[in-house]
Amino acid sequence: MTESVPFTWEEVARVYGRKIYNFAYRLTGNSDDASDLVQEVLLRVRKGLASYQPGSFEGWLWRITRNAFLDDVRRRNRRPTAPLPDEVDRWELASSPSADTEYSRISIGDDVQKALLGLPVEFREAVVLCDIVGLSYEEIAQAVAVPVGTVRSRIHRGRKLLRESLT
Amino acid sequence: MNHAGELISAYLDGELAGSEVDQLFGHLASCGKCAAEIQELQSVRSAVRSLPVLELPPGLIPEADAELIPLHRNRGFLVGAAAAVVVVVIAIAAIFTPSAATISVEELNSRYGARASLDPAFGPAKVVAPYFSDVLE
Repeated sequence: MTESVPFTWEEVARVYGRKIYNFAYRLTGNSDDASDLVQEVLLRVRKGLASYQPGSFEGWLWRITRNAFLDDVRRRNRRPTAPLPDEVDRWELASSPSADTEYSRISIGDDVQKALLGLPVEFREAVVLCDIVGLSYEEIAQAVAVPVGTVRSRIHRGRKLLRESLT
Repeated sequence: MNHAGELISAYLDGELAGSEVDQLFGHLASCGKCAAEIQELQSVRSAVRSLPVLELPPGLIPEADAELIPLHRNRGFLVGAAAAVVVVVIAIAAIFTPSAATISVEELNSRYGARASLDPAFGPAKVVAPYFSDVLE
């Protein structure tokens, strides 16, 4: 079974870490929650690699990732809700060598980030998996465990809601 | 009348089969609403895809931090740095370590115009010249 695992845990962290973080950040809107989510995902990957079945590794990885996100959303829904941040967290700026450039880039995306956070979770994750992570509809269908037609519908409806928010 | 609906986003994502593309364009030719929608959703799609790619917070994934400096380059750097330190240490040692060279009083006088005198009973003068070891072969 072990020989069918395409990656070690360290390789998953190295190759996919930044992608998982960007997925998490765009879904949560802040670096603290995104960081927590990345660590939770990598923990699950580490445990899951032992029982990994040959198949679509990306589908497997992103299924773990979105499940971790949904578990987090459910956990939060059981707690008193915290308001969405007024603006995206900008921890990156402190460590960026070109803070001015980075600031303008992130500022430009503020309204889009806010609009994403306003989407229902199932639309948000479909749009983010498509446009941020870059998965195909088939891969999203595997990750989310829904038919491809449902993925198509969620992405389209998500974008229409984004359009309403952004105009 | 049915509009293009989900075909629009699927088309923008390159997820339409050929027959569906024909169906979409057939509809767009006669539907200004869907023609406008495809433009608007294209803008939305571009806006999301244009969001900046964020770097991992330092230290969140040490394995990913290590990736920033490829291992072989890292090792090469360390080897090079160590070699440079060795060279510098040797050079400093060569400069500041007193070199003993044997030279006769006569040769010393002729080379530097010095007036050295020494009891010949002790043999050739042994001059310790730390800063001129190169000329005292």
